[in-house]
Amino acid sequence: MLKTFTLSLLFSVIAVAAYAQQPLSAEDSLTRNLSSSATTVGGYGNAFYQNNSHLQSAKVNLERGVIFIGHKFNDKISVFSELELEDAKLASGESGGEISFEQLYLKFNLNANQYLVAGLYTPRIGIINENHLPNTFNGNERNYVETLIIPATWRELGVGFYGNLTSVPLTYSVGLVNGLDAGGFAHGTGLRGGQFEGRNASANNLAVTAAVQYFYKDFKFQVSGYYGGAAAVSKRKADSLGLNSGIFGTPVAVGEADVQWAADGFQVRALGTAVSIPDAEKINHAYANNTPKTEYGAYLEVGYDLLSHVKTQHNQQLVVFVRDEKFNLNAEIPNSGVTDGALNQNHVVAGFTYLPIRNVAVKADVRFIHTGDQNAALIVNPNPVALPYQTDYNLVNLGVAFSF
Amino acid sequence: MCLAIGTGMLASCGSAVPLYKTSIANNRISVPVSTFAQTDFQLISPEKFAYNIGLRKENDGTYTALLLRCTHHDNQLITTGNGYRCTLHGSQFNKEGQVTNGPAERSLKKYPTQVVDNQIIIQIT
Repeated sequence: MLKTFTLSLLFSVIAVAAYAQQPLSAEDSLTRNLSSSATTVGGYGNAFYQNNSHLQSAKVNLERGVIFIGHKFNDKISVFSELELEDAKLASGESGGEISFEQLYLKFNLNANQYLVAGLYTPRIGIINENHLPNTFNGNERNYVETLIIPATWRELGVGFYGNLTSVPLTYSVGLVNGLDAGGFAHGTGLRGGQFEGRNASANNLAVTAAVQYFYKDFKFQVSGYYGGAAAVSKRKADSLGLNSGIFGTPVAVGEADVQWAADGFQVRALGTAVSIPDAEKINHAYANNTPKTEYGAYLEVGYDLLSHVKTQHNQQLVVFVRDEKFNLNAEIPNSGVTDGALNQNHVVAGFTYLPIRNVAVKADVRFIHTGDQNAALIVNPNPVALPYQTDYNLVNLGVAFSF
Repeated sequence: MCLAIGTGMLASCGSAVPLYKTSIANNRISVPVSTFAQTDFQLISPEKFAYNIGLRKENDGTYTALLLRCTHHDNQLITTGNGYRCTLHGSQFNKEGQVTNGPAERSLKKYPTQVVDNQIIIQIT
Protein backbone atom coordinates (compact mmCIF):
# COMPACT_ATOMS: atom_id res chain seq x y z
CA MET A 1 0.00 0.00 0.00
CA LEU A 2 2.80 2.37 0.96
CA LYS A 3 4.55 1.64 -2.32
CA THR A 4 1.39 2.27 -4.30
CA PHE A 5 0.89 5.69 -2.79
CA THR A 6 4.54 6.60 -3.01
CA LEU A 7 4.51 5.65 -6.68
CA SER A 8 1.32 7.64 -7.27
CA LEU A 9 2.85 10.71 -5.68
CA LEU A 10 6.07 10.23 -7.64
CA PHE A 11 4.09 9.82 -10.84
CA SER A 12 2.21 13.07 -10.18
CA VAL A 13 5.44 14.95 -9.58
CA ILE A 14 7.08 13.49 -12.68
CA ALA A 15 3.98 14.24 -14.77
CA VAL A 16 3.95 17.83 -13.59
CA ALA A 17 7.68 18.18 -14.19
CA ALA A 18 7.43 16.72 -17.69
CA TYR A 19 4.43 18.88 -18.43
CA ALA A 20 6.25 21.98 -17.25
CA GLN A 21 9.05 21.27 -19.69
CA GLN A 22 6.80 21.25 -22.75
CA PRO A 23 7.66 24.06 -25.14
CA LEU A 24 5.02 26.74 -25.56
CA SER A 25 2.95 26.37 -28.71
CA ALA A 26 1.63 29.21 -30.85
CA GLU A 27 -1.69 28.87 -29.03
CA ASP A 28 0.12 29.13 -25.71
CA SER A 29 1.72 32.33 -26.84
CA LEU A 30 -1.65 33.61 -27.92
CA THR A 31 -3.32 32.88 -24.62
CA ARG A 32 -0.33 34.16 -22.73
CA ASN A 33 -0.93 37.50 -24.33
CA LEU A 34 -4.43 37.56 -22.83
CA SER A 35 -3.05 38.85 -19.56
CA SER A 36 -2.43 42.51 -19.00
CA SER A 37 -0.34 41.73 -15.94
CA ALA A 38 1.60 38.66 -14.88
CA THR A 39 1.53 39.46 -11.18
CA THR A 40 -1.65 40.05 -9.22
CA VAL A 41 -2.06 41.35 -5.70
CA GLY A 42 -5.12 40.99 -3.50
CA GLY A 43 -6.06 40.51 0.07
CA TYR A 44 -8.67 40.55 2.77
CA GLY A 45 -9.07 41.55 6.38
CA ASN A 46 -11.54 42.01 9.18
CA ALA A 47 -11.74 43.65 12.58
CA PHE A 48 -14.51 43.58 15.13
CA TYR A 49 -15.65 44.57 18.58
CA GLN A 50 -17.04 41.79 20.77
CA ASN A 51 -18.95 42.02 24.02
CA ASN A 52 -19.15 38.79 26.00
CA SER A 53 -22.10 38.72 28.40
CA HIS A 54 -20.62 35.82 30.38
CA LEU A 55 -17.25 37.44 31.00
CA GLN A 56 -18.89 40.88 31.27
CA SER A 57 -16.03 42.06 29.15
CA ALA A 58 -15.44 43.49 25.70
CA LYS A 59 -12.56 43.42 23.24
CA VAL A 60 -11.75 44.76 19.81
CA ASN A 61 -9.36 42.94 17.52
CA LEU A 62 -7.94 43.09 14.01
CA GLU A 63 -8.62 39.40 13.57
CA ARG A 64 -7.10 38.83 10.15
CA GLY A 65 -5.03 40.67 7.60
CA VAL A 66 -4.17 38.61 4.53
CA ILE A 67 -2.17 39.48 1.42
CA PHE A 68 -2.58 37.46 -1.79
CA ILE A 69 0.17 37.52 -4.32
CA GLY A 70 -0.17 35.54 -7.52
CA HIS A 71 2.18 35.34 -10.43
CA LYS A 72 1.46 33.83 -13.81
CA PHE A 73 4.60 32.49 -15.44
CA ASN A 74 2.50 31.69 -18.51
CA ASP A 75 -1.11 30.67 -19.07
CA LYS A 76 -0.29 27.13 -17.95
CA ILE A 77 1.74 27.68 -14.79
CA SER A 78 1.04 30.08 -11.93
CA VAL A 79 1.92 30.45 -8.28
CA PHE A 80 -0.55 31.62 -5.63
CA SER A 81 0.07 32.70 -2.08
CA GLU A 82 -1.92 33.95 0.90
CA LEU A 83 0.12 35.29 3.79
CA GLU A 84 -1.89 35.85 6.94
CA LEU A 85 -1.27 37.83 10.09
CA GLU A 86 -3.75 37.10 12.87
CA ASP A 87 -4.41 39.55 15.70
CA ALA A 88 -2.44 42.35 14.05
CA LYS A 89 0.85 41.78 15.79
CA LEU A 90 3.30 39.05 16.58
CA ALA A 91 5.74 39.96 19.30
CA SER A 92 8.39 37.96 21.06
CA GLY A 93 7.41 36.97 24.56
CA GLU A 94 3.75 37.89 24.12
CA SER A 95 0.91 35.43 23.65
CA GLY A 96 -1.46 35.69 20.70
CA GLY A 97 -0.82 36.62 17.12
CA GLU A 98 0.24 34.32 14.33
CA ILE A 99 1.84 34.82 10.96
CA SER A 100 1.55 31.98 8.51
CA PHE A 101 1.05 31.02 4.91
CA GLU A 102 -2.58 30.16 4.48
CA GLN A 103 -1.80 28.94 0.99
CA LEU A 104 1.29 28.72 -1.19
CA TYR A 105 1.03 26.50 -4.22
CA LEU A 106 1.84 26.11 -7.86
CA LYS A 107 -1.07 25.75 -10.26
CA PHE A 108 -0.71 23.85 -13.50
CA ASN A 109 -3.53 24.39 -16.00
CA LEU A 110 -3.92 21.16 -17.97
CA ASN A 111 -6.62 22.62 -20.22
CA ALA A 112 -9.58 24.99 -19.91
CA ASN A 113 -11.36 22.57 -17.59
CA GLN A 114 -8.72 20.84 -15.48
CA TYR A 115 -5.77 21.88 -13.36
CA LEU A 116 -3.36 20.56 -10.77
CA VAL A 117 -2.16 22.32 -7.65
CA ALA A 118 0.95 21.35 -5.70
CA GLY A 119 2.06 22.85 -2.41
CA LEU A 120 0.25 24.20 0.63
CA TYR A 121 -3.41 24.50 -0.25
CA THR A 122 -6.90 24.37 1.25
CA PRO A 123 -8.76 21.27 0.01
CA ARG A 124 -12.41 21.65 -0.93
CA ILE A 125 -14.09 20.59 2.32
CA GLY A 126 -17.19 22.52 3.35
CA ILE A 127 -17.88 26.08 2.20
CA ILE A 128 -15.57 28.32 4.25
CA ASN A 129 -12.39 26.34 3.79
CA GLU A 130 -12.09 27.19 0.12
CA ASN A 131 -13.95 30.53 0.03
CA HIS A 132 -13.39 32.37 3.29
CA LEU A 133 -13.34 36.03 2.27
CA PRO A 134 -15.04 37.85 5.15
CA ASN A 135 -17.30 39.96 2.92
CA THR A 136 -18.84 36.79 1.48
CA PHE A 137 -20.30 35.37 4.69
CA ASN A 138 -22.67 36.81 7.27
CA GLY A 139 -21.59 37.46 10.83
CA ASN A 140 -18.33 38.87 12.10
CA GLU A 141 -17.13 35.44 13.19
CA ARG A 142 -16.95 32.48 10.83
CA ASN A 143 -19.57 29.90 11.68
CA TYR A 144 -18.39 27.61 14.49
CA VAL A 145 -19.28 24.36 12.68
CA GLU A 146 -16.68 25.17 10.02
CA THR A 147 -14.26 26.38 12.66
CA LEU A 148 -14.41 23.51 15.14
CA ILE A 149 -15.74 20.43 13.33
CA ILE A 150 -14.16 21.29 9.96
CA PRO A 151 -11.07 23.17 11.13
CA ALA A 152 -11.10 25.92 8.49
CA THR A 153 -8.87 27.27 7.22
CA TRP A 154 -7.60 23.68 6.89
CA ARG A 155 -4.51 23.66 4.74
CA GLU A 156 -1.95 20.92 4.27
CA LEU A 157 0.84 20.08 1.87
CA GLY A 158 0.01 17.95 -1.13
CA VAL A 159 -1.27 17.68 -4.64
CA GLY A 160 -4.81 18.43 -5.81
CA PHE A 161 -6.55 17.76 -9.10
CA TYR A 162 -9.51 19.98 -10.01
CA GLY A 163 -11.81 19.79 -12.97
CA ASN A 164 -15.26 20.38 -14.29
CA LEU A 165 -17.42 18.70 -16.86
CA THR A 166 -18.39 20.81 -19.82
CA SER A 167 -21.61 18.99 -20.66
CA VAL A 168 -23.11 19.56 -17.22
CA PRO A 169 -22.35 22.14 -14.52
CA LEU A 170 -20.45 19.72 -12.30
CA THR A 171 -17.03 20.12 -10.74
CA TYR A 172 -14.85 17.52 -9.08
CA SER A 173 -11.64 17.55 -7.10
CA VAL A 174 -9.37 14.98 -5.49
CA GLY A 175 -6.34 15.59 -3.36
CA LEU A 176 -3.49 13.78 -1.64
CA VAL A 177 -2.10 15.59 1.41
CA ASN A 178 -0.15 14.84 4.56
CA GLY A 179 -2.17 13.36 7.42
CA LEU A 180 -3.00 14.80 10.85
CA ASP A 181 -1.13 14.37 14.13
CA ALA A 182 -3.33 12.71 16.77
CA GLY A 183 -0.82 13.81 19.42
CA GLY A 184 -1.86 17.40 18.75
CA PHE A 185 -5.56 16.84 19.37
CA ALA A 186 -6.77 18.73 22.44
CA HIS A 187 -9.97 18.52 24.44
CA GLY A 188 -12.65 20.77 23.00
CA THR A 189 -10.80 21.85 19.86
CA GLY A 190 -11.70 19.05 17.46
CA LEU A 191 -9.11 18.29 14.78
CA ARG A 192 -7.54 21.74 14.86
CA GLY A 193 -4.52 20.89 16.98
CA GLY A 194 -3.66 17.98 14.71
CA GLN A 195 -3.01 20.15 11.66
CA PHE A 196 0.53 20.69 10.42
CA GLU A 197 -0.34 23.64 8.16
CA GLY A 198 2.78 23.14 6.09
CA ARG A 199 5.36 23.22 8.85
CA ASN A 200 7.57 20.12 9.07
CA ALA A 201 4.58 17.92 8.40
CA SER A 202 4.87 14.23 9.06
CA ALA A 203 4.52 12.21 5.88
CA ASN A 204 4.29 8.93 7.75
CA ASN A 205 0.57 9.20 7.09
CA LEU A 206 -1.26 10.55 4.10
CA ALA A 207 -4.84 11.60 3.49
CA VAL A 208 -7.11 11.70 0.47
CA THR A 209 -9.81 14.30 -0.05
CA ALA A 210 -12.50 14.52 -2.69
CA ALA A 211 -15.42 16.77 -3.50
CA VAL A 212 -18.16 17.03 -6.10
CA GLN A 213 -20.19 20.18 -6.76
CA TYR A 214 -23.28 20.45 -8.91
CA PHE A 215 -24.99 23.66 -10.00
CA TYR A 216 -28.66 23.71 -10.89
CA LYS A 217 -30.30 27.04 -11.61
CA ASP A 218 -29.88 29.05 -8.38
CA PHE A 219 -28.71 26.06 -6.36
CA LYS A 220 -25.23 24.80 -5.57
CA PHE A 221 -24.85 21.34 -4.09
CA GLN A 222 -21.66 19.85 -2.70
CA VAL A 223 -20.49 16.67 -1.04
CA SER A 224 -16.92 16.32 0.17
CA GLY A 225 -14.85 13.95 2.26
CA TYR A 226 -11.50 13.38 3.88
CA TYR A 227 -9.83 10.16 5.00
CA GLY A 228 -6.33 9.98 6.35
CA GLY A 229 -3.97 8.54 8.92
CA ALA A 230 -3.16 10.47 12.09
CA ALA A 231 -0.43 8.46 13.84
CA ALA A 232 2.18 10.86 12.41
CA VAL A 233 5.09 8.89 13.85
CA SER A 234 7.34 6.07 12.71
CA LYS A 235 6.11 2.50 12.88
CA ARG A 236 8.43 1.80 15.79
CA LYS A 237 7.12 4.72 17.80
CA ALA A 238 3.51 4.01 16.83
CA ASP A 239 3.94 0.44 18.03
CA SER A 240 5.30 1.67 21.34
CA LEU A 241 2.34 4.07 21.71
CA GLY A 242 -0.16 1.37 20.80
CA LEU A 243 -1.25 3.22 17.65
CA ASN A 244 -1.75 1.76 14.22
CA SER A 245 0.85 2.96 11.71
CA GLY A 246 0.82 2.84 7.92
CA ILE A 247 -0.48 5.27 5.33
CA PHE A 248 -3.95 5.38 6.84
CA GLY A 249 -3.00 4.17 10.32
CA THR A 250 -5.06 5.64 13.18
CA PRO A 251 -7.54 7.08 10.68
CA VAL A 252 -9.65 10.20 10.76
CA ALA A 253 -12.66 10.47 8.44
CA VAL A 254 -14.63 13.63 7.71
CA GLY A 255 -17.79 13.78 5.61
CA GLU A 256 -19.68 16.89 4.60
CA ALA A 257 -22.61 17.93 2.46
CA ASP A 258 -23.98 21.40 1.81
CA VAL A 259 -26.42 23.26 -0.35
CA GLN A 260 -26.63 26.97 -1.17
CA TRP A 261 -29.44 28.82 -2.87
CA ALA A 262 -29.73 32.48 -3.78
CA ALA A 263 -32.47 34.24 -5.75
CA ASP A 264 -34.58 37.38 -5.60
CA GLY A 265 -32.63 38.72 -2.64
CA PHE A 266 -32.97 35.56 -0.59
CA GLN A 267 -29.93 33.48 0.31
CA VAL A 268 -29.93 30.14 2.09
CA ARG A 269 -27.03 27.96 3.21
CA ALA A 270 -27.26 24.58 4.89
CA LEU A 271 -24.36 22.34 5.82
CA GLY A 272 -23.93 19.10 7.73
CA THR A 273 -20.69 17.39 8.67
CA ALA A 274 -19.43 14.52 10.81
CA VAL A 275 -16.01 13.35 12.00
CA SER A 276 -15.14 9.77 12.88
CA ILE A 277 -12.01 8.72 14.78
CA PRO A 278 -12.42 4.96 15.25
CA ASP A 279 -9.11 4.57 17.14
CA ALA A 280 -9.91 7.34 19.64
CA GLU A 281 -9.51 4.94 22.56
CA LYS A 282 -5.94 4.11 21.50
CA ILE A 283 -5.17 7.82 21.00
CA ASN A 284 -6.34 8.57 24.53
CA HIS A 285 -4.21 5.76 25.94
CA ALA A 286 -1.21 7.20 24.06
CA TYR A 287 -1.71 10.92 24.68
CA ALA A 288 -4.47 11.32 27.33
CA ASN A 289 -6.02 14.13 25.25
CA ASN A 290 -9.68 13.06 25.53
CA THR A 291 -10.13 12.44 21.80
CA PRO A 292 -13.75 11.64 20.86
CA LYS A 293 -14.84 8.86 18.52
CA THR A 294 -17.43 11.02 16.82
CA GLU A 295 -18.09 14.72 16.31
CA TYR A 296 -20.82 16.31 14.25
CA GLY A 297 -22.17 19.70 13.32
CA ALA A 298 -24.78 21.35 11.13
CA TYR A 299 -26.13 24.81 10.41
CA LEU A 300 -28.88 26.49 8.48
CA GLU A 301 -28.70 30.15 7.51
CA VAL A 302 -31.38 32.26 5.89
CA GLY A 303 -30.78 35.80 4.72
CA TYR A 304 -32.56 38.47 2.73
CA ASP A 305 -31.13 41.53 1.01
CA LEU A 306 -33.43 44.41 1.85
CA LEU A 307 -31.99 46.41 -1.05
CA SER A 308 -32.36 43.66 -3.64
CA HIS A 309 -35.27 45.42 -5.33
CA VAL A 310 -33.99 48.95 -4.76
CA LYS A 311 -31.81 50.57 -7.39
CA THR A 312 -28.76 51.86 -5.51
CA GLN A 313 -25.40 53.23 -6.48
CA HIS A 314 -22.73 50.45 -6.57
CA ASN A 315 -25.39 47.76 -6.03
CA GLN A 316 -25.39 48.17 -2.28
CA GLN A 317 -26.68 45.29 -0.18
CA LEU A 318 -28.22 45.18 3.27
CA VAL A 319 -28.61 41.56 4.26
CA VAL A 320 -30.50 40.58 7.39
CA PHE A 321 -29.86 37.02 8.42
CA VAL A 322 -30.36 34.38 11.05
CA ARG A 323 -28.30 31.22 11.45
CA ASP A 324 -28.82 28.20 13.66
CA GLU A 325 -25.66 26.23 14.44
CA LYS A 326 -25.64 22.90 16.25
CA PHE A 327 -22.50 20.91 17.00
CA ASN A 328 -21.13 18.37 19.43
CA LEU A 329 -17.38 17.91 19.77
CA ASN A 330 -17.80 14.77 21.84
CA ALA A 331 -20.86 13.13 20.42
CA GLU A 332 -19.36 9.72 21.14
CA ILE A 333 -16.54 9.21 23.62
CA PRO A 334 -14.53 5.97 23.96
CA ASN A 335 -14.11 4.19 27.29
CA SER A 336 -10.80 5.96 27.76
CA GLY A 337 -12.41 9.43 27.48
CA VAL A 338 -14.60 11.73 29.57
CA THR A 339 -17.76 13.35 28.22
CA ASP A 340 -18.05 17.13 28.55
CA GLY A 341 -21.53 18.52 28.11
CA ALA A 342 -20.06 21.97 27.47
CA LEU A 343 -18.92 20.73 24.06
CA ASN A 344 -22.51 20.08 22.98
CA GLN A 345 -23.62 23.51 21.80
CA ASN A 346 -26.38 25.31 19.99
CA HIS A 347 -25.79 28.84 18.67
CA VAL A 348 -28.31 31.17 17.11
CA VAL A 349 -26.74 34.10 15.28
CA ALA A 350 -28.78 37.02 13.96
CA GLY A 351 -27.76 40.34 12.49
CA PHE A 352 -27.11 42.26 9.33
CA THR A 353 -24.37 42.72 6.77
CA TYR A 354 -24.24 46.02 4.90
CA LEU A 355 -22.14 46.13 1.74
CA PRO A 356 -21.75 49.66 0.36
CA ILE A 357 -19.81 47.95 -2.43
CA ARG A 358 -19.42 44.22 -2.89
CA ASN A 359 -15.89 44.14 -1.52
CA VAL A 360 -16.55 45.97 1.73
CA ALA A 361 -18.83 44.85 4.55
CA VAL A 362 -20.06 46.45 7.75
CA LYS A 363 -21.42 43.81 10.08
CA ALA A 364 -23.44 43.63 13.26
CA ASP A 365 -24.65 40.45 14.88
CA VAL A 366 -25.48 38.83 18.16
CA ARG A 367 -24.64 35.19 18.93
CA PHE A 368 -26.84 33.45 21.50
CA ILE A 369 -24.98 30.46 22.89
CA HIS A 370 -26.43 27.51 24.75
CA THR A 371 -24.26 24.63 25.94
CA GLY A 372 -24.66 21.51 28.01
CA ASP A 373 -23.34 21.34 31.56
CA GLN A 374 -19.61 21.46 32.11
CA ASN A 375 -18.08 18.26 33.52
CA ALA A 376 -16.37 19.40 36.72
CA ALA A 377 -14.16 16.30 36.66
CA LEU A 378 -12.29 17.82 33.72
CA ILE A 379 -11.20 20.87 35.74
CA VAL A 380 -7.93 19.62 37.16
CA ASN A 381 -6.50 22.97 38.24
CA PRO A 382 -9.45 25.30 38.94
CA ASN A 383 -8.80 29.02 38.52
CA PRO A 384 -9.73 30.62 41.87
CA VAL A 385 -11.01 33.78 40.18
CA ALA A 386 -12.91 32.04 37.35
CA LEU A 387 -16.56 32.93 36.98
CA PRO A 388 -19.07 30.09 37.46
CA TYR A 389 -19.73 28.29 34.17
CA GLN A 390 -22.83 29.54 32.36
CA THR A 391 -24.73 27.41 29.89
CA ASP A 392 -26.41 30.45 28.32
CA TYR A 393 -24.71 33.67 27.29
CA ASN A 394 -24.29 35.86 24.23
CA LEU A 395 -21.71 37.66 22.16
CA VAL A 396 -22.44 41.01 20.51
CA ASN A 397 -20.21 41.70 17.51
CA LEU A 398 -19.70 44.86 15.46
CA GLY A 399 -17.10 44.99 12.74
CA VAL A 400 -15.84 45.70 9.26
CA ALA A 401 -14.38 43.47 6.55
CA PHE A 402 -13.04 43.75 3.02
CA SER A 403 -11.44 41.80 0.20
CA PHE A 404 -9.98 42.73 -3.14
CA MET B 1 -32.67 12.98 -7.58
CA CYS B 2 -30.76 14.37 -10.53
CA LEU B 3 -27.62 14.23 -8.41
CA ALA B 4 -28.06 10.66 -7.32
CA ILE B 5 -28.34 9.04 -10.70
CA GLY B 6 -25.14 10.16 -12.37
CA THR B 7 -23.94 12.44 -15.08
CA GLY B 8 -25.88 10.70 -17.82
CA MET B 9 -29.07 11.64 -16.10
CA LEU B 10 -27.72 15.05 -15.13
CA ALA B 11 -27.59 16.01 -18.77
CA SER B 12 -31.32 15.39 -18.99
CA CYS B 13 -32.15 17.45 -15.90
CA GLY B 14 -32.60 20.52 -17.99
CA SER B 15 -29.22 22.12 -17.27
CA ALA B 16 -26.95 20.51 -19.87
CA VAL B 17 -24.51 23.00 -21.36
CA PRO B 18 -24.11 22.76 -25.17
CA LEU B 19 -20.43 22.44 -26.00
CA TYR B 20 -18.76 23.26 -29.29
CA LYS B 21 -15.15 22.23 -29.76
CA THR B 22 -13.16 24.12 -32.34
CA SER B 23 -9.78 25.65 -33.04
CA ILE B 24 -8.37 29.13 -33.49
CA ALA B 25 -7.14 30.27 -36.89
CA ASN B 26 -5.72 33.74 -37.51
CA ASN B 27 -6.94 34.89 -34.10
CA ARG B 28 -10.48 33.96 -35.08
CA ILE B 29 -12.94 31.33 -33.93
CA SER B 30 -15.70 30.29 -36.29
CA VAL B 31 -18.96 28.82 -35.01
CA PRO B 32 -21.84 27.80 -37.31
CA VAL B 33 -25.03 29.79 -36.74
CA SER B 34 -26.90 26.48 -36.99
CA THR B 35 -25.53 25.41 -33.58
CA PHE B 36 -27.96 27.91 -32.08
CA ALA B 37 -31.02 26.32 -33.64
CA GLN B 38 -32.09 24.76 -30.33
CA THR B 39 -30.34 26.96 -27.80
CA ASP B 40 -29.31 30.53 -27.07
CA PHE B 41 -26.01 29.56 -25.43
CA GLN B 42 -22.94 27.60 -26.47
CA LEU B 43 -19.82 26.87 -24.46
CA ILE B 44 -16.97 27.24 -26.93
CA SER B 45 -13.88 25.14 -26.22
CA PRO B 46 -11.02 26.17 -28.51
CA GLU B 47 -8.29 23.59 -28.85
CA LYS B 48 -5.17 24.34 -26.76
CA PHE B 49 -6.74 27.52 -25.44
CA ALA B 50 -6.43 28.12 -21.70
CA TYR B 51 -10.04 29.25 -21.26
CA ASN B 52 -13.49 28.44 -22.57
CA ILE B 53 -15.63 31.12 -24.19
CA GLY B 54 -19.30 31.63 -23.40
CA LEU B 55 -21.18 32.52 -26.60
CA ARG B 56 -24.73 33.76 -26.19
CA LYS B 57 -27.37 34.73 -28.73
CA GLU B 58 -29.07 37.99 -27.79
CA ASN B 59 -32.72 38.84 -28.42
CA ASP B 60 -31.75 41.19 -31.25
CA GLY B 61 -29.96 38.38 -33.09
CA THR B 62 -26.44 39.49 -32.21
CA TYR B 63 -23.97 37.31 -30.35
CA THR B 64 -21.99 38.04 -27.19
CA ALA B 65 -18.71 36.21 -26.59
CA LEU B 66 -17.27 36.25 -23.04
CA LEU B 67 -13.84 35.00 -22.06
CA LEU B 68 -14.44 32.69 -19.09
CA ARG B 69 -11.45 33.92 -17.12
CA CYS B 70 -12.00 35.40 -13.66
CA THR B 71 -10.99 39.05 -13.59
CA HIS B 72 -9.66 38.63 -10.06
CA HIS B 73 -6.82 36.07 -10.38
CA ASP B 74 -7.29 34.72 -13.93
CA ASN B 75 -8.74 31.38 -12.80
CA GLN B 76 -10.95 29.42 -15.20
CA LEU B 77 -14.68 29.90 -14.65
CA ILE B 78 -17.34 27.24 -14.64
CA THR B 79 -20.73 27.70 -16.25
CA THR B 80 -23.62 27.46 -13.80
CA GLY B 81 -27.35 27.64 -14.24
CA ASN B 82 -27.43 31.42 -13.98
CA GLY B 83 -23.99 32.65 -15.05
CA TYR B 84 -20.38 31.88 -14.26
CA ARG B 85 -18.51 31.13 -11.06
CA CYS B 86 -14.89 31.03 -9.97
CA THR B 87 -14.13 28.26 -7.48
CA LEU B 88 -10.83 29.84 -6.42
CA HIS B 89 -12.15 32.78 -4.38
CA GLY B 90 -15.87 32.56 -5.08
CA SER B 91 -16.42 35.40 -7.56
CA GLN B 92 -19.65 35.16 -9.53
CA PHE B 93 -20.73 36.72 -12.81
CA ASN B 94 -24.13 36.87 -14.44
CA LYS B 95 -24.90 35.83 -18.01
CA GLU B 96 -23.89 39.30 -19.22
CA GLY B 97 -20.48 38.89 -17.57
CA GLN B 98 -21.11 41.46 -14.85
CA VAL B 99 -19.87 40.78 -11.33
CA THR B 100 -22.62 39.65 -8.97
CA ASN B 101 -20.34 38.53 -6.15
CA GLY B 102 -16.75 39.59 -5.34
CA PRO B 103 -13.87 39.66 -4.86
CA ALA B 104 -13.71 40.27 -8.63
CA GLU B 105 -14.46 43.88 -9.45
CA ARG B 106 -14.36 43.98 -13.26
CA SER B 107 -16.74 42.45 -15.78
CA LEU B 108 -15.61 39.57 -17.97
CA LYS B 109 -13.68 40.37 -21.13
CA LYS B 110 -15.97 40.58 -24.14
CA TYR B 111 -14.79 39.62 -27.64
CA PRO B 112 -16.22 41.28 -30.76
CA THR B 113 -18.37 39.04 -32.93
CA GLN B 114 -19.88 39.23 -36.40
CA VAL B 115 -21.87 36.89 -38.61
CA VAL B 116 -20.35 36.11 -42.01
CA ASP B 117 -21.76 33.46 -44.35
CA ASN B 118 -23.75 31.78 -41.58
CA GLN B 119 -20.65 31.61 -39.40
CA ILE B 120 -20.30 33.48 -36.11
CA ILE B 121 -16.80 34.90 -36.11
CA ILE B 122 -15.27 35.60 -32.70
CA GLN B 123 -12.29 37.90 -32.94
CA ILE B 124 -9.69 36.99 -30.30
CA THR B 125 -8.14 40.29 -29.39
